[in-house]
Amino acid sequence: MSMAQPYSGPRTDAFGGSFFSRLPERIAIPEDFRGDEGLMISSAEQFSRKEVLPVAERLDAQEDGLMPALLRKAADLGFCGIDAPEAYGGLGLGKNLAARILEFLSLNASFSVTIGVHSGISQAGIALFGNHDQKKRYLPGLVTAETIGAYALTEPNAGSDALSATTRAERVPGGYRLNGTKMWISNAKWAGVFTVFAKIDGKEFTGFIVERSMPGVRVEREEHKLGLKGSSTARLVLVDVFVPDDNVLYEPGLGHHVAFNALNLGRFKLSAMSLGPAREMIGQAARYALDRRQFGAPIASFGLIRQKFSDMAVRYFAAESMIYRTGALIDDAFDAHGSDVAGNRRACEEYSVECSACKVFATEAEAFVLDEALQVYGGYGFSEEFPAARHYRDARISRIYEGTNEINRLFLADRLRRRDREGRASLTSVGDSYVSELAGRAMREDVDDQVRMGALSDLVMLVYAEQSSRLRASQSGIPIHQTLSQAVTRWVNPFAAVAFQTVTGETVGLPSPPTASIDELSDAVYAAGAPL
Amino acid sequence: MRILVTVKRVVDPYARVRPMPDGSGIDTGGAKFEINPFDEIAIEEAVRQREARGDTEIVAVSVGPSECEDQLRKALAMGADRAILVETGDPQDSSVVAAELEAIVRELKPDLILMGKQATDDDRNQAAQMLAARLGWPQATFASKLTVSDGSATVARETDTGEETLEIPLPAIVTTDLRLNEPRYIALPGIIKARTKSLEKRPRATTALPKTRPLRYETPPSRPPGKKVGSVEELVSELRARGAI
Repeated sequence: MSMAQPYSGPRTDAFGGSFFSRLPERIAIPEDFRGDEGLMISSAEQFSRKEVLPVAERLDAQEDGLMPALLRKAADLGFCGIDAPEAYGGLGLGKNLAARILEFLSLNASFSVTIGVHSGISQAGIALFGNHDQKKRYLPGLVTAETIGAYALTEPNAGSDALSATTRAERVPGGYRLNGTKMWISNAKWAGVFTVFAKIDGKEFTGFIVERSMPGVRVEREEHKLGLKGSSTARLVLVDVFVPDDNVLYEPGLGHHVAFNALNLGRFKLSAMSLGPAREMIGQAARYALDRRQFGAPIASFGLIRQKFSDMAVRYFAAESMIYRTGALIDDAFDAHGSDVAGNRRACEEYSVECSACKVFATEAEAFVLDEALQVYGGYGFSEEFPAARHYRDARISRIYEGTNEINRLFLADRLRRRDREGRASLTSVGDSYVSELAGRAMREDVDDQVRMGALSDLVMLVYAEQSSRLRASQSGIPIHQTLSQAVTRWVNPFAAVAFQTVTGETVGLPSPPTASIDELSDAVYAAGAPL
Repeated sequence: MRILVTVKRVVDPYARVRPMPDGSGIDTGGAKFEINPFDEIAIEEAVRQREARGDTEIVAVSVGPSECEDQLRKALAMGADRAILVETGDPQDSSVVAAELEAIVRELKPDLILMGKQATDDDRNQAAQMLAARLGWPQATFASKLTVSDGSATVARETDTGEETLEIPLPAIVTTDLRLNEPRYIALPGIIKARTKSLEKRPRATTALPKTRPLRYETPPSRPPGKKVGSVEELVSELRARGAI
């Protein structure tokens, strides 16, 4: 495979947002996963293919006990505690490897969100912000999936504006009394422990560990959803629930650190989870296109179908390049800082710009891939007899949860600018590509409205996507990666131009595109039966 | 009890490979390499025997280039206790492998040798039989059921005429058929544990030369496309036209 030396150890010169202003010597690339890491990844894929995909329909029908049993089976293999601390029953592996494994556990989205929430944001709050006693009480049970975890932040009237939550915690002797309603709680039906956010006396936003068995905890009926029908999503109602002092997560009044930092990691992991269904459907659709004949030839041979596979492979490649570059940076940040709660906070926060860029890019790549893959199936794509329809429905939520893509777009460029003001990043772009040059120029604008801020964020995200793809291709030494990376650049440029014009109001010319490579890329996807 | 399991590194059985243009070998392109699936069944069986009996050491052995380490690591992750790689880039056929294995067996004195019935790359189905001949040990090939008791093994084999059950004294060689078991998923903790298990590399113990020499690899001629017929009459006349009836 790759002839280049694998990435190893922290590049101490990288910091959050540094991709914008400097070109690193090396980045981590997915090809760096090797040896027994590859074994872990293929074990996850095998589990998905043999245990999860064959029961997708039964999961969607909410067959009693099936999903929790599947989760426990996954836990038996170590999949529910990959990056949980070893001292509390986890495997203590890195977040990047955990994300790659999660990608391959995510070929079915209902199972993906169930295990993703359980092993991700529900554990992360406790693992990163909990005290020793809390970790000892809760993590081992979560790692074995004896207890299933959930995360309860959103309320009926507090969605994107999470801090406007009205769930209250009144101080009472020995603890707090919680009242309120939490909405869209994934895993609610099965969960034994919830990370709940409430305001102490209506003011101090605070995290609490709430057990299902506490009197006053009620889970309401399942929501009827567009997709993810196999997952559980319901309201959590808290009526005079007594929560002891021991179950306050982190410090009273500092719940936003817990909530938003857990979400930063959650966004990163969700981006990897979004690749799973995209990966699966690229392969399925390729096999279908090779098999399906019209006008006397397999439809795979037709130009407009080839173009779809080429485009799908290009988006997947860019997203994958960003995600596993970011994951290694997060691991570095934890290695450098993550010895205590304050360090964990810093490590979670450091690459928040990159996490948001991954989340937005990967979920939109997923949406594109699943839409185009369905189109390859023609009328059969619209039928429940084929796999495309379920994946298509299931993916719609990816752009909504873990911070809508709109909220992430407001956050991205703004956060980079804030880091610049704090002296923690620079807005002078590398300028080594068309998009980087435009982004640098656009950054000089005063932007105070949402539309232009969104466009500025698009530029930042596209810089990261283009650069990550290019660096990966030059490092991996895999010939098809060069073609993919050039195609990413070709695709990014017009979007960059439009975003630049939105921010600045200036007209800008497009560079002449490199030669199209549709046949080469589509043939490679057909041969691989998977993304490249 | 000690069980020796052999592990061959083969190209992914689902990968599409082709002969090199000059016919001198097989171009595996960028295909992945795996443990020969029948050997995986052998490892799984060894682990099950240990689970049933306790106090059993499983040693996985490969003969081949240094890349075989990947497959031996997997064998360790599946449950083997230690691994030995006879590291060699020499051309080999079943007879060379049998000679090298013989040396290892004489040193380790296992009670049972479990081997895949054949490798999915060259389908030779010879190494186990040759090894049995060299050692003068009993063998039971194509096992679909295996029960080990003190001093002997009972092996069921599926044959064209029905199921045959053999009893053989230990030490013995048993080769595995597909139906023997289904290898379990590899658990992540097992993979991590394997990192600290011993994987010993050693040079060849013999100078045995291959007894066979491949002359040429070529793609089988492509078959002419079939024809769909609309009726029995048409079928009969087509068959007549081709001289088949």
